[in-house]
Amino acid sequence: MSAHQDPSSAEGRPYKHEGPKNHYITFILSILLTMFAFAAVIYGDLDRGFVLWFLSILAIVQAVFQLVYWMHMKDRGHAYAILYMVMGAIIALTAFAAAVYWMWW
Amino acid sequence: MSSAHETAGRLPAEPEKATLEGRNKILGFWLFLAAEVVLFGTLFASFIALRNQVPEGPTANELFNLSMVAISTFILLTSSLTSVLATMALHRHHLNGLLGWMAVTVLLGAAFLILEIYEFYEYAHLGHKFASSAFATSFYTLVGFHGAHVLFGVMWITTLILQTFRKGLTVVTAPKFYVAGLYWHFIDVVWVFIFTIVYLMGKVG
Repeated sequence: MSAHQDPSSAEGRPYKHEGPKNHYITFILSILLTMFAFAAVIYGDLDRGFVLWFLSILAIVQAVFQLVYWMHMKDRGHAYAILYMVMGAIIALTAFAAAVYWMWW
Repeated sequence: MSSAHETAGRLPAEPEKATLEGRNKILGFWLFLAAEVVLFGTLFASFIALRNQVPEGPTANELFNLSMVAISTFILLTSSLTSVLATMALHRHHLNGLLGWMAVTVLLGAAFLILEIYEFYEYAHLGHKFASSAFATSFYTLVGFHGAHVLFGVMWITTLILQTFRKGLTVVTAPKFYVAGLYWHFIDVVWVFIFTIVYLMGKVG
């Protein structure tokens, strides 16, 4: 396995195996964020508007962590993947905003 | 395609990206996932718009059982971890680790599906059927679509495991496992929004 056979090290950087540490951290973080979200609904005697924002933010943080670490979007060569996902998210969020606007205002 | 018959001992460091075909497969799969974002985004939008339209039949607050949702969430989250461990085994060319972690992922996915079928069965008994209300229709469309994705993933990864028993780990089979892993993570990301928007926000009102 010499370096020039391996396209991932074409820029002179030898390929390094990533350890499982980031993946375990993402898993524990996901569990914690999920527990906070459930606890806010089950035990929290909180303002409805605050809970809705709190839940939305927890979900987005968890989704971003899973995309970045578990789906390797932090790695090199993911520029097009990020472009695709951002474009998809823009269209999805537009539909989402339209539905919320239609119903609530 | 002459490099397709390399043995595991001579695989490059990231076998899924070793060929142009493999790299294109991953790029195309991201385009597919972006389309899935749009699909689920519009289903979420229609659910948000219709979730309080319940002229008859049980409402979200009466229906949902959060302890069961928590169990489903934990199962799917754990299966996402096992599929990333499979991808790490793939990078280390550990065929047994790859197949073992993928098999665990499939079993957890099947457990999730059994819970979901039981849940829908129970809801139907409580009068929450597909055509009961706009809420019920948008609920079953969104959550059912996600369940169908889990079912497809379970069947896809099962056939991949069976194929790899025969073909071994090569630069042809490696990209298939890599994109199957991406697909499985994506299913878990969608579930994060389902348990938040459908179940938890359904309880909040």
